[in-house]
Amino acid sequence: MVFSCIPFLFFFLPLCLILYYVVPFSWKNGTLLIFSLIFYAWGEPVYILLMLFSTLLDYSNGRLMERFGTTRGRRIFFLCCSICINLSILAFFKYAGFAVSSINGIFNTQFTPPQIRLPVGISFYTFQTMSYIIDLYRGRVKAEHSYVSYLTYVSMFPQLVAGPIVRFSDIQQRLHSREITYAAFEQGMLRFMTGLFKKVLIANQAGVLWEEIHVLGAADTSVATAWLGALCFTLQLYFDFSAYSDMAIGMGKMLGFDYSENFRYPLTAVSVTDFWRRWHISLSTWFRDYVYIPLGGNRKGVPRHLFNIAVVWFLTGLWHGASWNFILWGVYYGVLLILEKYIWGKALAGFPRFIQHAYTFLIVVFGFVIFAITDLGELGSYIRLLFSFGANPAADTRFLWYLGNYGPVLVLACVLACPVYPWICRKAAALSREKSRVFSALSAAAAVLLFLLSTAYMVSDTYNPFLYFRF
Amino acid sequence: MITNTKIRKVLVCLLCVSIMSLSVYLVLSPKRVYSENENRYLAKFPAPSLETVLNGEFMDSLSDWLADHFPRRDFFVGLKSGVEIASGRKCINNIYVGKDDYLIEPYNKPQNTERITDTLTGFYQKIDTERIDINLMLVPTAVTIYSDKLPAYAPSLDQTETAYAIYDATGIPAIDCTQRLLDGASQGQLYYRTDHHWTTLGAYQGYLAYCDTKGLTPLTLKSLTAQTVTEEFAGTLYSKINDYSHKRDEITVYTNPEDTLTVTYMDTGEVTDSLYNFDYLEEKDKYSLFLNNIHPLVVIENTSAASQDELMLIKDSYANSMVPFLAHHYRKIYVFDTRYYRDGSSSFLADHETVTDILLLYNLNTLDGDTGIRGIY
Repeated sequence: MVFSCIPFLFFFLPLCLILYYVVPFSWKNGTLLIFSLIFYAWGEPVYILLMLFSTLLDYSNGRLMERFGTTRGRRIFFLCCSICINLSILAFFKYAGFAVSSINGIFNTQFTPPQIRLPVGISFYTFQTMSYIIDLYRGRVKAEHSYVSYLTYVSMFPQLVAGPIVRFSDIQQRLHSREITYAAFEQGMLRFMTGLFKKVLIANQAGVLWEEIHVLGAADTSVATAWLGALCFTLQLYFDFSAYSDMAIGMGKMLGFDYSENFRYPLTAVSVTDFWRRWHISLSTWFRDYVYIPLGGNRKGVPRHLFNIAVVWFLTGLWHGASWNFILWGVYYGVLLILEKYIWGKALAGFPRFIQHAYTFLIVVFGFVIFAITDLGELGSYIRLLFSFGANPAADTRFLWYLGNYGPVLVLACVLACPVYPWICRKAAALSREKSRVFSALSAAAAVLLFLLSTAYMVSDTYNPFLYFRF
Repeated sequence: MITNTKIRKVLVCLLCVSIMSLSVYLVLSPKRVYSENENRYLAKFPAPSLETVLNGEFMDSLSDWLADHFPRRDFFVGLKSGVEIASGRKCINNIYVGKDDYLIEPYNKPQNTERITDTLTGFYQKIDTERIDINLMLVPTAVTIYSDKLPAYAPSLDQTETAYAIYDATGIPAIDCTQRLLDGASQGQLYYRTDHHWTTLGAYQGYLAYCDTKGLTPLTLKSLTAQTVTEEFAGTLYSKINDYSHKRDEITVYTNPEDTLTVTYMDTGEVTDSLYNFDYLEEKDKYSLFLNNIHPLVVIENTSAASQDELMLIKDSYANSMVPFLAHHYRKIYVFDTRYYRDGSSSFLADHETVTDILLLYNLNTLDGDTGIRGIY
């Protein structure tokens, strides 16, 4: 089930919240758990068993580590057990087909790649359960004794299928005692609505144009159209994924949880390093804390630092999907980060701000082209179109046609990708009482209109994917 | 953003109440079977079974059902289109929103030209052209004739290219009505604003081109009785863009007072003296009034026809509004819809040696996807 659909918004969520609020506290986790399982089963009726198995495994390992982990060796044993099984499951369900076809490609063999459908959210919940067991090994969290609470943590529907990747250490306390206030409900509801608008009214629209452009033949794609397509995909991905995080954070608040922010206006970053501090923060910090720093980070000399960056970015790419283009995308960022750290980072900081923005933005937009097209042959042709000055016209009437049709929504998207909203909020907070009432009333009216419009799109739109479900 | 706490509370309450009341209403309200505006049947409530639940089909169907029966669906669907058009979109649901309120279907790259050519050639080769005069008429649609009404920069392919490719490959003598339509554009509305068909005036231009080729003396419009039967025609394109404030169309029909007609619908056995069924004026799809919508075979006899010739007309719905003009020239017209006529028009031809003329008439936009052409022989 996606958040921006009628069954979810009009039935699942209200029903869940009402029951969740009326039951006594001791039943709240159970209620949440049941709804989360229904949520998962709605889109993934069979693989729910896999998730139950995966959580049971980490829960038991946690208990065992607590009970028998008196020596470091034993603790390492339980840790390795858990990590190996988790990664094996992930490898099997996500990467087996890819691995076999890659081996076929490299060694010219004829093995039949297994046809395994990717279980929704497996990359997200595997990383969540792994964070628990690693933190437990490090002594940063206490072992969870209640399986219901642990399963509630992993399966909690706001973040189950597309993040943010919530760590057990951030949430354990709240699992056992949390306050549910009207203020948080209100805040959460408005945050959820913001996400809904971003997803339905912007991400989907940019997505429609990208879908149209990337299947155009080479003869119909001018250089400008190709870049417009790349921009559309960038905007779609950002609004889609950050909207999902907004909705997750909003629902978390309504349920009494605080998830940390996952995006901080990444498209306005001033360097690639900066971009990765703002994009999918829960994933990059996960890799930082559980891979990069344990490998030694930058404290073991330059060659080791380079190696560590390479490993982290290879894995980041691979995490996004079982396909070479994602690995390429990860490596692309690994190389750029190394170059920024060792070659031009300092020089870049000396340039005017707008050059830094433009540099980063271009790198990001180009990067998402690698991300968008999984077939390497098609990817190559599309990249050629981006730079086919001379061979193809710089711009054509089709480009103007797209610009006329989608210009307004794309301009709006570009504006909203900048921190305009917080700026307005700051200005609004500084208004006088009288003016603030008028401004609030206008904003509220706009919110109602946007809600009606989002409903209109959900009622009549067929195009409504969530991109990060694939990962 | 909403700093005033009272207003924030009102907003949150309003949103909660709207969501709850819409969902309660959705469950309790009576359900429609058919959407007139969208011109389609709405989803039926899916019956869950172990299989459909496990493979997720049930959940998908349930989502569709909820969307189809959402309270005030027409309002919401219209709201979306309205806002999109207001934001500068000139293409909604693959329909161009053109100038002067014209909705125009774009012409997409044809996929089946080769198959269509083969079928038509096969049919043509079996015809005794000594005895029978056969013609192929591929009618360009508004996207070609009204290209000046397309929104600026709208991409579109050339329909006449496809037409000529088919004329050349099949060798069937062509009737090209493109020039007649282009010339006639100044005389009035040749295509409906809200529908993918040509108007009766458009059909008349086609008829003129037909007469040019066949050496017939065409009827003048003045000799016919014109009658505007509706001003509220909201056609198929209207249903696709769902902008319910869009300007509607008039339908004008022409009758020749000199004709003495017997129209027999072979499937139902119904016999009338009119080429029109005005009952359709009460329904959404008013174009169906021409020749009473779809029938596998209609036989039109005109005892006061200008000749004793018999025409076999193999066609799509474009021909339905041209038949009233053709009727004057033939004692008998056999009108086939080969999508539904199962016995094969070739064998029909063998049984009816009195047929003197054959006209194959299709419009170029739906030609590519027309399933009836396969049934020609």
